[in-house]
Amino acid sequence: MSELSRDALLGIVRDVWERHDPVPDHLVAAMQAAAAIAASDLDVELMELVERATELVGARGSTSYTLRFVHGDTDLLLRVAVDGDRSRVDGWVVPPEPMTVRALPGDDPTDWSSVVTDTGRFELTDLPLGLLRLRLEPHDTTRPAFATPTFEI
Amino acid sequence: MGGGDRPDGVSARAGEVWGQATAGFNLWVAGDPAGLDDLVAVMTPVLWHVVRSYRLSESAAEDVVQSTWLALVRRRSSIVDSVAIGGWLTTTARREAWRVAQGDGRTTPVADQDLEPRIPAARSAEEAAVQHDEGDRIWAAVDGLPERCRRLLRIVAFENRPDYRELASDLGMPVGSIGPTRGRCLAKLRVALMQTGEFK
Repeated sequence: MSELSRDALLGIVRDVWERHDPVPDHLVAAMQAAAAIAASDLDVELMELVERATELVGARGSTSYTLRFVHGDTDLLLRVAVDGDRSRVDGWVVPPEPMTVRALPGDDPTDWSSVVTDTGRFELTDLPLGLLRLRLEPHDTTRPAFATPTFEI
Repeated sequence: MGGGDRPDGVSARAGEVWGQATAGFNLWVAGDPAGLDDLVAVMTPVLWHVVRSYRLSESAAEDVVQSTWLALVRRRSSIVDSVAIGGWLTTTARREAWRVAQGDGRTTPVADQDLEPRIPAARSAEEAAVQHDEGDRIWAAVDGLPERCRRLLRIVAFENRPDYRELASDLGMPVGSIGPTRGRCLAKLRVALMQTGEFK
């Protein structure tokens, strides 16, 4: 039989892509964490990531990027800056609404939180690197809390 | 969906993935979180390759894979056929990848001439010079396929019987032409591989 049957060819295609565009090492663990967190927190509505942009900032090799999440009428813009082994998040909630933003780093029980100003701004500083999600808790208690999906700093 | 028509090694390996996905999903639905871990571990690599075939950057591809897992968690209760869980995941990932690729404006409509081989001159001399061993030559054969063939074969190789209707609309092709195109792409690959001298 021909060595190059359809299935043999598809097998070669798989091998080649597995070698030349391998799954990033961290991806499976990161996805397991993201899925597990989402599954354990099903009552909190998730925002949707709609945009991500990376910009490289020269100063001392620090990097920053922006993320945009949407949930209903609420837009959340984040600028994440990494400096060494700490990071900070500058956020902007549109339209502005009184709420507490809580940072929930992966497996760190410490709680970072910040109250949104009346222009919709907030900042969270001295955050650890790694997996992070933000939970937005409107002060209007008739509004349910919602959260971003996990993202990695 | 037709019966199993892939009798050899590839299908056995692919079949294992889908079987493990179903087992993981069933375990999770039955209340064991380890099932979700298993499902994610076995299907994330498949989703990666499917999503990357849409010419997304690594970080955009990671976001699409994550969105797929979040969609699964949120819509778990609406998935009744656990045997089809692998297909549900790849279809969800392809839809999202396609949406993101469109939004980027980086995807260009695929014209018929894309079925022609890419011009070898586009490859740098340096790159050609290092393609000396077998692996490099086989990669060059796959990488040198026309764009549409590269994408179609990558998807077909990693997915379990992809939905031709959606695939056709993603690739901008009539549904009826996917089968014949796949055949032509496989033929091109076979010829290219023969020319490497690694196969008889």
